Amino acid sequence: MNKEQIFNIVIEHSRELLPELEGHTFQYSDRLTDLGANSVDRAEIVMMTMEALSLHIPRVELFGASNIGELVDLIYDKLQLV
Amino acid sequence: MISAGIEAMNAFGGTVSLNVMELAKYRKLDTGRFENLLMVEKSVALPYEDPVTFAVNAAKPIIDAMTEAEKNRIEMLITCTESGIDFGKSISTYVHHYLGLSRNCRLFEMKQACYAGTAGFQMAINFVLSQVSPGAKVLVVATDISRYLKVEEGDELSPDWSFVEPSGGAGAVAMLISEQPVVFQVDPGANGYYGYEVMDTCRPVPDSEAGNADLSLLSYLDCCEQTYLEYERRVSGVHYRDTFDYMAYHTPFGGMVKGAHRTMMRKMIKAKAPEIEQDFAERVLPGLHYCQRVGNIMGATLFLALTSTIDRGSFDVPKRVGCFSYGSGCCAEFFSGVVTPEGQERQRQLAIGQQLSTRYSLAMDEYEAVLQASDIVKFGTKNAKLDPLFIPQAVVRHSAPRLVLDEISNYHRIYKWSTVT
Repeated sequence: MNKEQIFNIVIEHSRELLPELEGHTFQYSDRLTDLGANSVDRAEIVMMTMEALSLHIPRVELFGASNIGELVDLIYDKLQLV
Repeated sequence: MISAGIEAMNAFGGTVSLNVMELAKYRKLDTGRFENLLMVEKSVALPYEDPVTFAVNAAKPIIDAMTEAEKNRIEMLITCTESGIDFGKSISTYVHHYLGLSRNCRLFEMKQACYAGTAGFQMAINFVLSQVSPGAKVLVVATDISRYLKVEEGDELSPDWSFVEPSGGAGAVAMLISEQPVVFQVDPGANGYYGYEVMDTCRPVPDSEAGNADLSLLSYLDCCEQTYLEYERRVSGVHYRDTFDYMAYHTPFGGMVKGAHRTMMRKMIKAKAPEIEQDFAERVLPGLHYCQRVGNIMGATLFLALTSTIDRGSFDVPKRVGCFSYGSGCCAEFFSGVVTPEGQERQRQLAIGQQLSTRYSLAMDEYEAVLQASDIVKFGTKNAKLDPLFIPQAVVRHSAPRLVLDEISNYHRIYKWSTVT
């Protein structure tokens, strides 16, 4: 699984939760907060992505990303360990 | 084995409230997705209200209903709070004094963020179950307020303010724990606990909060899953939907509980969206009602959700309630107990919903005035005299005597009973 594939999974779940982002062209530098996702939405996007990737780790280990690109990096790194 | 649990339980949601949607608009927050946070109102602590007045006002109706002999069997008074007013002297000493309890009584306080109430509750349950003093009762009072003297901008730990201010409430829940668990009989030993070090939300300075809402939410969800899995390992034949007729969750705000329930239903029993929505309405929503009116009262929130569940649920036959407690930092627990028709009838006599309805609803300029005036009672205040007529409309709305803070004299807090009607 490369970073672009993970990025696309994050986008897919972001659009599923926030349908108004359908026409948005996502960038690695996009912040979910700026796209209208509140705390609950952000946690949901992280969890849906974890489930899609069958990544079984504590959710708190995916905390700390300040934009989608950093979230993708975090997930990518975790996937290398399992 | 002897049974143990809650003999009587009362919540006190303060004197004044604030519509949080109006607050969100006033703070110019993005209200587009605010509604899915499921916040409605919150209680606001007036300058003459503090964790002691909330605690005493919650416990008073329970104590007043007891005979002198029964009162004298209260051998332990535990206050549970993250809003302490002194590093050494616990709130329980004031509560003990103003309730006029026996001196042959242990007085102390518990702290572990929003888990504190559960820590006190379990301590009391174990004391009763141990039978080291047969017939003894314990008064557990979880009491917390949010004063919000704001942490400075740019601070590494500054909170997502837009999220914290509307959710932070003020209130207390008092519980009489004994071997007559009329209201809630615990399932002894059916406890799944889970804790580890995490810096999610905290109170590193007096009268404010810091931390990160996202991290706290993820930690809450991790703990929800891990405590339940531990409970499942200890209790045979457990099913997340079928074993518990109702679920009472620690409720920082309703949207968080809805998200957690959705996740648990999906992970534990592979439920699909329509079933989860219906199940949430049936098993969880009754417990959310009071929490949506009072806001997050930290250590007391889970038990506020429990009172709400008991008052608003349908208990034509005895039913089991699953309870999830989470306190940042962190410690969490999943436990359960049974509520009977008699228990619901007893609980409803305290008319908690009615008490919440009598609160005065603050206008935004009044709310700002409260925030300003709260400076007079900030942590470490040596001397102060409180104005009992601050927000005069709040005073005339209650008929039963209420404890209020009168003055602080050389750090000693002096309270009086307000009987204005």
